[in-house]
Amino acid sequence: MVQIDRRSLLGALGVGMSSVSGCLGSSDVGAESGSITDSSDGSTGSAVEGPPTVGRSLPAAYTAAELEAATRSGGPPPDGIPAIEDPQFAEATDPPALLDGGDPVFGVVLDGEAKAYPQSVLVWHEIVNDAIAGTPVSVTYCPLTGTAQGFYRGETTFGVSGQLINANLVMFDRATEEWWPQMLATRITGDDPGDHLEEFRVVWTTWERWRSAHPETVVLTDDTGFARNYGSDPYGGYNPRSGYYAGGSFLFPPLTEDNRLAPKTVVIGMRSANGAVAVRKETLREERVIEFDLGGVRHAAVYDEPLDTGYVYRSGDAPESDGTDSVDLETATLSWEDGDVVVDGAVHAPDSLPFEREIVFDAMWFAWYGYYPMTDLHR
Amino acid sequence: MRLAIGRRDSAAVVAAVTVGYLLAYLWATGDLSLRTGVAPGVLVIDDPLGRLFARTGPASFGAIATVDTGIVRLLLSPVNVAIGAIVAGLVGINLGMTYLAVRRPTACGIGAGSGLLASVPALLSGTVCCGPVVLLAIGVQATAVVLTAFVWLLPIGVALLLASLAYVATKIDPGRPIES
Repeated sequence: MVQIDRRSLLGALGVGMSSVSGCLGSSDVGAESGSITDSSDGSTGSAVEGPPTVGRSLPAAYTAAELEAATRSGGPPPDGIPAIEDPQFAEATDPPALLDGGDPVFGVVLDGEAKAYPQSVLVWHEIVNDAIAGTPVSVTYCPLTGTAQGFYRGETTFGVSGQLINANLVMFDRATEEWWPQMLATRITGDDPGDHLEEFRVVWTTWERWRSAHPETVVLTDDTGFARNYGSDPYGGYNPRSGYYAGGSFLFPPLTEDNRLAPKTVVIGMRSANGAVAVRKETLREERVIEFDLGGVRHAAVYDEPLDTGYVYRSGDAPESDGTDSVDLETATLSWEDGDVVVDGAVHAPDSLPFEREIVFDAMWFAWYGYYPMTDLHR
Repeated sequence: MRLAIGRRDSAAVVAAVTVGYLLAYLWATGDLSLRTGVAPGVLVIDDPLGRLFARTGPASFGAIATVDTGIVRLLLSPVNVAIGAIVAGLVGINLGMTYLAVRRPTACGIGAGSGLLASVPALLSGTVCCGPVVLLAIGVQATAVVLTAFVWLLPIGVALLLASLAYVATKIDPGRPIES
């Protein structure tokens, strides 16, 4: 028996679509997007306080005006991809039935509280407006760039604008309705754009790895208040990798291109006042510890085997350090030993080296380079 | 229309095509999918009336219920079903007319399948999630022109179907006997 799936049918019919589209002239796609005024949760947008911002310096290759000009409609209108506003969680011992051990989840630990957000749920919503340990946060995911990031949201909530820049999710906050491209974590519209969101680390790992590392975790369920085909990813699959996630083609073109890596290669990206760096994840898996200079400052990327993720540190004491065993990364000797990192003879877990830890996240190479063409690449 | 549904054989064609196209439309929009291993059941979201007209794309609307049969899953969006039914009905009548035209070639001079071709744009209009997923299958980048085309696929499809219907109707002589 020959099984014909939806993609095959649509592919077969693609010639018809192409011929039709070729007959049409260009027009303002954005005009279809409508106004960001009808949030799915019924909020009125009357509040004036946007999300909290922080003073930080990030590398920028484009002005806010250039980014706004590069915005394009992804198809859905504002909130056409509805953020989850009332997330429901299950215990790790009673996870959602559809969640396989090898499926990707986005893990967060804040103030000792661990939560996992399955990619299979977020692919339909892209944003979860949640509270972790009493702190209002948004956990966000863009399927087209493979980026999961966390932001403090204050009293407002974030929604999916339906707009894309560099194929990346453009969020809007419901208080001010200004645009915040996810990867940039920066406001690009409104008066005096350039405010930066405060971020927290979101770990891209698998459910099995996260549950093992954090048995007390809870996990987001598909009881979202929406009817979606959970368990079926419209773009492909990660377990195993297939479809959009595995192919080399773009759905939306990046701001700029680079061919040193295949477009969907996963890198661990970090940007700070010192510059931007991308470390190929597979390389970090192999080398375990990669030391480099960025902006004249010594940095180190280390691999975390249990979670299959990485961390990037720079010179400076860890915030929680009491100073008794102060170590200078500029002169320290780092080595890998049985899953831990040895710093000048002292053993540390990969996520708790005695240095300043930077916010990093996994990203598809094309997306990272599109936003940060000045990036250093470790491949 | 009376021509197409006035005869038993052509009415059967209209009904079969309408149902088949509606199923294909819902499949293309992602509302209908194979989903085995899930227990049969219906799950209605909170405030279904409030979300009835929540748009998820240029011509698609969010589902208010999940209907599992154990084999297929239907994400029930009444507006999508209504749009799909209208287009499917037009396609059905078109092909019913075409069927009559084929059965009476001396009356027509038109080729079979004109209604089918006209139905393609509407079928491709379904979009879901972040960008028109159909482009993944086609391997076309979502440029501004293509996305604009997507916005117009449904109305273009309906217009083509209506035009095709009018054209075929003028070519058929209902009084002429069926040639075997």
